[in-house]
Amino acid sequence: MVAATQDLSGKKGGTLKMLWSSDVDYIDPGAAYYQLSYMVDYATQRPLYSWAPDEETTPTPDLADGQPEVSNGGATITVKIRQGINFSPPVNRAVTSADVKYAIERGFSPNVANGYAGAYLGTIKGAEELQFGKAKDISGITTPDQQTIVFNLKQPDGLPKGVTGYATTAVIGALALPLSAPVPPEYAKPFDAKNPSTYGVHQVATGPYMIKNDAEGNTVGYKPTQSLELVRNPNWKASTDYRKAYVDAIQIDQGNDNPSIAAPQILQGQNLIGGDVGPPSALLQQLLKKKSPQLVMAPSGGIRYIALNTTFKPLNDLNVRKAVLAAFDRELLRKVNGGKAIGDIATHFIPPGIPGFDQAGGLDGTGVDFLKNPAGDMSVAASYMKKAGFPSGKYTGSEVLTIVGTSGGRAQKTAEITQNQLQKLGFKTKLQLVTQDSMYTQFCNVPKSQPAVCPNVGWLKDFNDAQTILVPTFNGDNIVPVNNSNWPQLDVQSINEAMGKAQVETSSSSAGDQWAQIDRQITDQAPAIPWVWDNTQNIQSENVKGVINKFNSSWDLSFTSIK
Amino acid sequence: MGRYVARRLLWVGLLLFLVSLLTFVIFYVLPSADPAQLRAGRRASPEQVEAIRQRMGLDDPMLVQFWNYLKGIFAHGDFGYSYVNEQPVRELILARIPATISVAIGASILWLFFGVLVGVISAVRRRTKLDRAAMGAALLGISAPEYWVGLVALYLFADDIGLIPLFGSAGSYVPLSQDPLAWFNSLILPWSVLAISFAAFYSRLLRGNLIEVMGEDYIRTARAKGLGEKRVVMRHGMRAALTPIVTVFGMDLGLMLGGAVLIEVVFNIPGIGRQAYDAILRADLPMIQGTVLISAFFIIVANLVVDIVYAFLDPRVRYD
Amino acid sequence: MAPLLEVRDLRVSFETEDGVVQAVDGVSWSIEAGRTLGVVGESGSGKTVGALSLLGLTRSARTRIEGEAIFEGRNLLQLDDEQLRSVRGGSIAMVFQDPLSSLHPFFRVGAQIVEAIQAHQDLPDRAARARAIELLGMVGIPDPPSRIDSWPHEFSGGMRQRAMIAMALANEPKLLIADEPTTALDVTVQAQILDLLDRLRDELGMAMVIVTHDLGVVAETADEVAVMYAGRVVERAATAELFSAPRHPYTWGLLRSIPRLDSPRGSRLTPIAGRPPSLIDAPAGCSFAPRCPYAGDACLEARPPSTPAGSAGHESACVLDLAARAKAWDALSADGDQAEAEAILGVGR
Repeated sequence: MVAATQDLSGKKGGTLKMLWSSDVDYIDPGAAYYQLSYMVDYATQRPLYSWAPDEETTPTPDLADGQPEVSNGGATITVKIRQGINFSPPVNRAVTSADVKYAIERGFSPNVANGYAGAYLGTIKGAEELQFGKAKDISGITTPDQQTIVFNLKQPDGLPKGVTGYATTAVIGALALPLSAPVPPEYAKPFDAKNPSTYGVHQVATGPYMIKNDAEGNTVGYKPTQSLELVRNPNWKASTDYRKAYVDAIQIDQGNDNPSIAAPQILQGQNLIGGDVGPPSALLQQLLKKKSPQLVMAPSGGIRYIALNTTFKPLNDLNVRKAVLAAFDRELLRKVNGGKAIGDIATHFIPPGIPGFDQAGGLDGTGVDFLKNPAGDMSVAASYMKKAGFPSGKYTGSEVLTIVGTSGGRAQKTAEITQNQLQKLGFKTKLQLVTQDSMYTQFCNVPKSQPAVCPNVGWLKDFNDAQTILVPTFNGDNIVPVNNSNWPQLDVQSINEAMGKAQVETSSSSAGDQWAQIDRQITDQAPAIPWVWDNTQNIQSENVKGVINKFNSSWDLSFTSIK
Repeated sequence: MGRYVARRLLWVGLLLFLVSLLTFVIFYVLPSADPAQLRAGRRASPEQVEAIRQRMGLDDPMLVQFWNYLKGIFAHGDFGYSYVNEQPVRELILARIPATISVAIGASILWLFFGVLVGVISAVRRRTKLDRAAMGAALLGISAPEYWVGLVALYLFADDIGLIPLFGSAGSYVPLSQDPLAWFNSLILPWSVLAISFAAFYSRLLRGNLIEVMGEDYIRTARAKGLGEKRVVMRHGMRAALTPIVTVFGMDLGLMLGGAVLIEVVFNIPGIGRQAYDAILRADLPMIQGTVLISAFFIIVANLVVDIVYAFLDPRVRYD
Repeated sequence: MAPLLEVRDLRVSFETEDGVVQAVDGVSWSIEAGRTLGVVGESGSGKTVGALSLLGLTRSARTRIEGEAIFEGRNLLQLDDEQLRSVRGGSIAMVFQDPLSSLHPFFRVGAQIVEAIQAHQDLPDRAARARAIELLGMVGIPDPPSRIDSWPHEFSGGMRQRAMIAMALANEPKLLIADEPTTALDVTVQAQILDLLDRLRDELGMAMVIVTHDLGVVAETADEVAVMYAGRVVERAATAELFSAPRHPYTWGLLRSIPRLDSPRGSRLTPIAGRPPSLIDAPAGCSFAPRCPYAGDACLEARPPSTPAGSAGHESACVLDLAARAKAWDALSADGDQAEAEAILGVGR
């Protein structure tokens, strides 16, 4: 596991090489919404705030010159911008607050279509109007001077159902995502006018690195699905940044689909780190046994669970759900998925490292009897079944539970074990295996065609705030006909209301308490079988001194160095 | 001959049209996922998803979409836009063609050379220990799964993780234009692995052909003329025995130019095969269309070339 | 006059999975310059294998060739591959049965002839081509300068055989071995080809061996005939004598199986009953005995040696009494009375 406090010192120079299996989702920082993309973006871009490697609660001011100033009862957020930060060539000029405003605005345009802007920044006045083409900019973002940017939020009654105050916390949290990294409008607008925007392959940087480009700004260092080359940004000044930027260049090689080749390449090679390439299980066990420093694990800030459709008979009966959870052998599931190293067995829904985790019971859980035994407890299950009206302690009804899982690999094993565990309780089941994309977009994300059980779902935080975990997934107000992520379709009034309150709580300690309470409430509803809080497994060559960014739970390119 | 080629070329066009229509229809009848949701991201509202669906043109009727697609290809050489990769399909495919061609051409030279060499030796030294050993090995070569052989080759000879580090490893592919020597070194293993199964197949095929041909009357005539045995085998025997090989070779080369997925995966070579595979996994219709079309194009053209070449090889065949 | 080629006790056997096949089992014959020898027999009698073996065309690891074939003072059977190569298509040439399959389908006719020329003569391409045109003219192909570049499949059967003959004549051979040269051709074309061969033999002064199953072919062309059965020569005689006074029951059978224009309508052809014997592990005794209507116990005891059976050079290998055979043939040839012949030869006593 990654140390609580890492040694951030390092030697300057050298080229770091990184192996990826896949590509960035979007090379455009305004659209990026994925761990690998973030890894690059946080090294090349300076959002208003960002996460220093060991920081887990409060983001560090980056482009911003200090913590945000909240006024007007939470309706106004003012951020000052640091002086002396310039764009990389070919733009070169100093960054102003207008560049941040434009960056956020373009995220709402259909040509960029940022994936989280609407969810977290949609509460800024005028954001929706821009999004649906009723305005040309976001009226709620103002730039009184070149170093100041002000965010004005909508009145509470304009917010999603249940939110009773200003959604300040969500906005501030999202300002630490790459979307708030400045984009020079005069340069970017012609690219953004295209559908979709081509700014991504012409982007300019503010961070210590930039994607290698030519005089016109074409990112020649990016070959989609093949490679990505980062070089030093000549306009970056170390004095303005907390980043160290030890290595001179970062060479990313994509398409390393086979971990049993890529992992040995990293472990036996020089200057290499893995991006989304982890060790295959046999190798992982060896590394763990040796306590090899070449493997560094970090909590992902995510949870995997098996969603039970609470609208589907008999899963609409709370006691039946509790019985299912009680009977389920989560230990077995984890073993099949790679054992202890993949993460701790989940006992509730807020993952470790996120405020509220400890208050909700930490690793031990909230104390409910139906999640007490990780290996499952048939007697507890039987008792709930009896309460549900099945005196034999097993399900004797005629309903067939459809399970739609992901085919291939561990996901398929998870789906199969789910089926097997349900049958253990007397359920009749029907297992359908499809691709992961299909499982989400055609089945589990669409309430109309949602099966009884979605065994291969999970959620990853957007930032270190429990609302980014619990609201999209368990708030009944968020059940939508398409792209739904409340897979259990849990809709409990008290939970929805508690979330509305917690979302506007600006004191982080009391927010943590509130979210923990909500976590307990959700757990009591047994809407899903939480089974693992994932770790990421990060590997490096012997001569690499890797530093983990805990927020992104992967290597921090701005701090990793070569020995 | 000219008319024949013209007619065949028309067929090529029609076939490509049908292939793309079929891909389109399959994608619509059996959608593998919803591209709009995938593009929108997990936090997008249904309105945003709808907006993206519109922007991607996915809400148009299928025929309109197909028409737009064809129009793009014929009017602008535009194969559409991959929303998954955020790049025009044409650029993406063009970027990968050199690697695919490198793999295909290099491997085919190797397998032709060794396939023919072993095939001839085996046929000439028929029933000797050498022949039996070669044919036994060939049987192994044919049945050994490429993917597995590739892995073994890497663990044995890759310059980073191999026991005897000799050749470039997975992910070491370097474009020819960048560094010919590194290009060559990085492709030795993939070429060899691909060539093994093909060479094995070709050697068995050629051996069979040549043995059969060597029993033909015209071979006896050649010998009776007083030609040396070498000339009899290499000129009279091979001329006839190689002709069917040319057909098979054309097909194989066409297939190979459409991408060699497994080899590309094992050796992490940025070729078309994996691109197609990824596109299918990610429901990237424009990309699927593009890669399917390019593969179909190579295969169909290879067929055409084979047929034309065949007319030159076998004077008895005439297309009128 | 010393013979051009003298074959003595030629034996050829093949190893097969079923056993050793004795395809040629002690064949002797000889031929003088300018003469034609007909070698006659059913398929499987070893006539073709024997001819091919002379030029080493049956040589392989699984073939044993023994005996002598003295040609110009050298034993052909002892020559190494390179020496043999210079004989093949040089002083001894061959023409084969099926001219379509015997010409390489992927090479032009002219090129194949040129190749034959250049295999033995150090001629430049142009001269070799001129020679090929001349040869094509010689074998009666019309407009040779334009036909020389034709493909074999563009020729008719007769033309192809003419082309084959042209190829064989390329180096002015002293001996031409023609293996069933007319079998695959139409009857009218057969006669033309035989005439051509006859004419060429006379013009070029070659010796010719015609291997055939068809006694009709040898009747017209050969000076002398050797009849083969089961790998052996069972009768040898000058052509006229063989037809008029055959002394071996097998030869009788062959002669009687020729359809004759003067046969009364409805009279049956007399094919030889039974099938040729297996050449694997042939029993002792006369190999024709099992099919021979006149065979007696003596026939099964030992292999009959060739013995004189008429004029000088007429030999036959039969243990039955020579005089009785002569009488029996007279009976057979007069009215085809099998029973009478049997009685004469004492069968059924």
